[in-house]
Amino acid sequence: MTRYVMAADLRRCVGCQTCTAACRHENETPPGVQWRKVLDMETGEYPEVKRMFVPVGCQHCADPPCMHVCPSTATGQRGDGIVTIDYDLCIGCAYCAVACPYQARYKVDKSAFAYGDTPTAAESMRFDEKRLGVAQKCTFCSDRVDEGKRRGMTPGVDPAATPACVNSCIADALHFGDIEDPASNVSRLLTENSWFRMHEELGTDPGFYYLWDEK
Amino acid sequence: MAVPAPDERKRVATYCYQCVNGPDLLTVEVVGGVATKVEPNFEAGNVHPAQGKVCVKAYGLVQKIYNPHRLLRPMKRTNPLKGRDQDPGWTPIPWDEALDAITARLNDIRSRGLVDGDGYPRVAFTTGGAGTPLMYMGTFPAFLAAWGPVDKSLGAGGTVKCTHAQHMYGELWHRAFTACADTPHCQYLVSFGTNIEAAGGVMGVRRQADARVRGCRRVQIEPHLSVTGACSEEWVPIRPKTDSAFLYAMLHVLLHERRIDELDVAFLGQHTGSPYLVGPHGYFLRHPDARKPLAWNKTTGQAVPHDTASADLALTGEFTVRAVEIGADGESWNYEAVAATTAFAKLVQHVARFTPEWAATVCDVPAAAIRRIANEFLTQARIGETIEIEGRVLPYRPVAVTLGRSVNSGWGAYECVWARTVLQVLVGALEVPGGLLGTAVLITGEEHDRIGSVRPGPDGFLDFPMNPTDKEHWVAKPDVRHAHQSLLPLVGNGRFSQALGSSTLAWMRLQGRAAESWPRPKPPDLWFVYRCNPAISFSETDRLAQTMASFPYTVSFAYTLDETNHYADLLLPEAMDMESTQLVRIGGTHFQENFWNHQGWALRQPVVAPCGETRDFTELATQLAQRTGLLADYNRMLNAGAAGLPLKSASHDFSLDESRAHSTDEVWDAVCRAASAEVTDGAAQDGLAWFKEHALRVRPFSMLNWYLFPRMLDLGLRFELPYQERIFRTGQQLSNRLHEQDIRWWHRQASDYEALPDWKDVGQLWNEVYRESLAVDPAKYPFWLITARSMQYAWGANVSIQMIREVARNVAGHDGIIVNGGRAREMGIGEGDMIEVSSPIGSVRGRAVLRQGIRPDTILMLAQFGHWKTPFAKDFGTPSVNRLVPMNIGLMDGGGSSNDAAKVAVTRAGPPS
Repeated sequence: MTRYVMAADLRRCVGCQTCTAACRHENETPPGVQWRKVLDMETGEYPEVKRMFVPVGCQHCADPPCMHVCPSTATGQRGDGIVTIDYDLCIGCAYCAVACPYQARYKVDKSAFAYGDTPTAAESMRFDEKRLGVAQKCTFCSDRVDEGKRRGMTPGVDPAATPACVNSCIADALHFGDIEDPASNVSRLLTENSWFRMHEELGTDPGFYYLWDEK
Repeated sequence: MAVPAPDERKRVATYCYQCVNGPDLLTVEVVGGVATKVEPNFEAGNVHPAQGKVCVKAYGLVQKIYNPHRLLRPMKRTNPLKGRDQDPGWTPIPWDEALDAITARLNDIRSRGLVDGDGYPRVAFTTGGAGTPLMYMGTFPAFLAAWGPVDKSLGAGGTVKCTHAQHMYGELWHRAFTACADTPHCQYLVSFGTNIEAAGGVMGVRRQADARVRGCRRVQIEPHLSVTGACSEEWVPIRPKTDSAFLYAMLHVLLHERRIDELDVAFLGQHTGSPYLVGPHGYFLRHPDARKPLAWNKTTGQAVPHDTASADLALTGEFTVRAVEIGADGESWNYEAVAATTAFAKLVQHVARFTPEWAATVCDVPAAAIRRIANEFLTQARIGETIEIEGRVLPYRPVAVTLGRSVNSGWGAYECVWARTVLQVLVGALEVPGGLLGTAVLITGEEHDRIGSVRPGPDGFLDFPMNPTDKEHWVAKPDVRHAHQSLLPLVGNGRFSQALGSSTLAWMRLQGRAAESWPRPKPPDLWFVYRCNPAISFSETDRLAQTMASFPYTVSFAYTLDETNHYADLLLPEAMDMESTQLVRIGGTHFQENFWNHQGWALRQPVVAPCGETRDFTELATQLAQRTGLLADYNRMLNAGAAGLPLKSASHDFSLDESRAHSTDEVWDAVCRAASAEVTDGAAQDGLAWFKEHALRVRPFSMLNWYLFPRMLDLGLRFELPYQERIFRTGQQLSNRLHEQDIRWWHRQASDYEALPDWKDVGQLWNEVYRESLAVDPAKYPFWLITARSMQYAWGANVSIQMIREVARNVAGHDGIIVNGGRAREMGIGEGDMIEVSSPIGSVRGRAVLRQGIRPDTILMLAQFGHWKTPFAKDFGTPSVNRLVPMNIGLMDGGGSSNDAAKVAVTRAGPPS
């Protein structure tokens, strides 16, 4: 069995948005669509204030609410835990975006480019009409994972088989790997560190672990 | 470049040097000749300390190529009137016409003399970004060198936006043009606003993250809870501009509340000027014949020269000695029996009154917190412990005090850098593992060879190329508009020294409102501007722009239209970051947290063909050299090292034929060959093709070279701390020279050269300037307006990049003005409301961003916006502190630096818009 999960070390994250930008590059998402981003959160009252940075995106839940509400079976789930969207089946109802407690899903109906109506050469080259009128979200870079595995690489270890956000993280905060493998990088991190998952009480069994302290 | 097939896919390696933390390495995927995505250069991961990664800014480089607002053809002004409301009437022209126009003006200048009637160069050149544009400028420096005198004093923000006091004093004391904690070995960091997570680049973020997880603790002392504060164990919201009081109180705790034997007495006694005896006039007491500073030998009960072998020198005590005291301009006093005390004792006496209780009222920080942090610093220093680094046993002192950028400039900066460095030496944590380290040298030696710059100077200290202040050699008549040689002894007169002069003074002199005893300088006949936007990034920017409008001819190398080139006569679109070629040094130790175990060279190569009619800077430089008859000189400069390193050595000769013009590739091929030979000690001579394939070439760099202490020890040298006798004498001599010329307007600056800097109430000083110089009631400006770094934006002409704007908006403060939520409520200001912020020189408006992580008496404008011409950025509606910061001699410290802060008034202007 395999289940791919993401781990974000909140001691390391500095909110720089390098992962946000790397994801935009890798997946050529349109302006404003950030499959991966980092929240800048502040709590408390002056002078007792805490500020922290929290990477968010699709949590690839084991029990994904988005899949349950999808009327067209466009949202699916792979054997390795990655929650998918088949753009050909998606009817663009956006029930999934409403159902997702992590605000991870986007729907774009019209093409949008960085500088108005005319795409730049880079946008033109990578524009995908299939992404209009359908739900879209983080895919854990499944294309990279699959191609990497086909070439004998280890996702989360070999950069070519690893999600772009993880590759780009300059703080070494993001990690990706197989939680079902007790010897994997993520399994080791979860053993050695205290962690929590977001909105766990909703029963989504998310595949995104936030590390916050050494055990 | 050959036209690629539509489906041709390749990955091209290059470097990013958009900020001083570079170069970092990246690869760009190119499909059918179109750049598509940026990724780390993982192949360099075994030598790059952060696994070959780049920060968010580098991901903006693809859009930077394809930004539709890019200028792609040379443009000339057709409206002769220059002004904010004047349309320049830009008309595209062919390159030949543009270069002909420049050539004609340059040839005319040469015929009239390279310097004007006042002795100032007729040609001026301005760039910004702390020198990072040099990494994109190709061989243009060789052209400027071939030309002759060039005025580089019209700055874009330097001496306001830089760590100016650190540059000067840091390099004097420990070859630390910039200083940095030895983060991988540090355990306790006291950070006075050092926003390392935003400003420390890829290395900074990685090293600090590793340190946090390892258990290194950081206290962040700053008025607003920055990105770095967010990642720190403790935030201490200090009142702005009171850092010196906190630092002095820490000194007080260590020197008055702890026993002397708890400090690193061995380090102090053997490796600093602490035992030196001080005479009645404030100078060292010296051996009457040898003239060496004396110290008291406890073993023999006598005063001896400081370098006497096996002497056990006293750190404290009162003694009677026979000595000579040498003051300014050779004045001396001979004593048969004079009362003397040690420099260390004078230090102790100096900080006696700066108790934590006193500092608490100044800083608005509880005395208990100040005391706790000082004691923690001492405890964590682990005095006496050692560590082995590559076979050498060194002191291990895992504590460091770091200073935020704005703590290093303007009044109070000398006190801060001095107190910080003295704190380090009290616990022996200077230039040893775990402690405070210098990173590069720009005044005293080769930038890439800090250790090589360690040379004996006078009195057992390091040497330093002071600008002379003695009567015979003082440069009485300035040769550039900010007169750095005349007014600033500590910036030297080397390659980078002009950039360290007071560029604020240069602009103020052009405006006729400074240095009244000298004639008002005329503008340069030709002003080159490259990769900077002073109309946005300097101070009192509205007035600065008016001054630019008065210049007769400005040539701007332009990316898009912007607020500075709005006043230019010619716009030249050079090929950008990903379209041109250059080889630069990489590795070793450099600037912020760049500490490598390798050192060598990295290539920037065209990822895509230059867009439109843009041209590589090297090509432009060569053309200009040819057209102005300077080709041979230009090539000679290249051969001598103007493109990075000399092209000829004992073992190889890749010199360019001086008589002909060389293509961009030919030039950089020769540089690459010389670099290959340097890295491999002559074994390899691979040129441009090799570097295009491999991206970089490095060799091992010993970790011992991170630390200055081993070399100091080997040469028997001491750190020139705590007592600044040389500085004191220099200041006295400078004052004498100014007095002889009846120059009164620099008197206060010259008096900043104190042996033990006296604490100054910077807030009070600002009030005085407001009252007396700006003729306003300071009580009407009760808020401190400060700024902070945005990693996403600094530097790189990112303001017009859409993706940068988009991702930056996830980080608080990019959309408006940060105000304390409670204070805002009291003032009737709601989230998003428009507020007006005024200083004595102007007003700006912006949206209120209500946060808890900022003092109620402080507001913050992040980064440097306020654009009104740059496409895309001009629609942000986010103001900049720079419009509100006055240029004023009263606000300049001894180094000619001032601060990008201001006292302001805040009122609600309207609902959200």
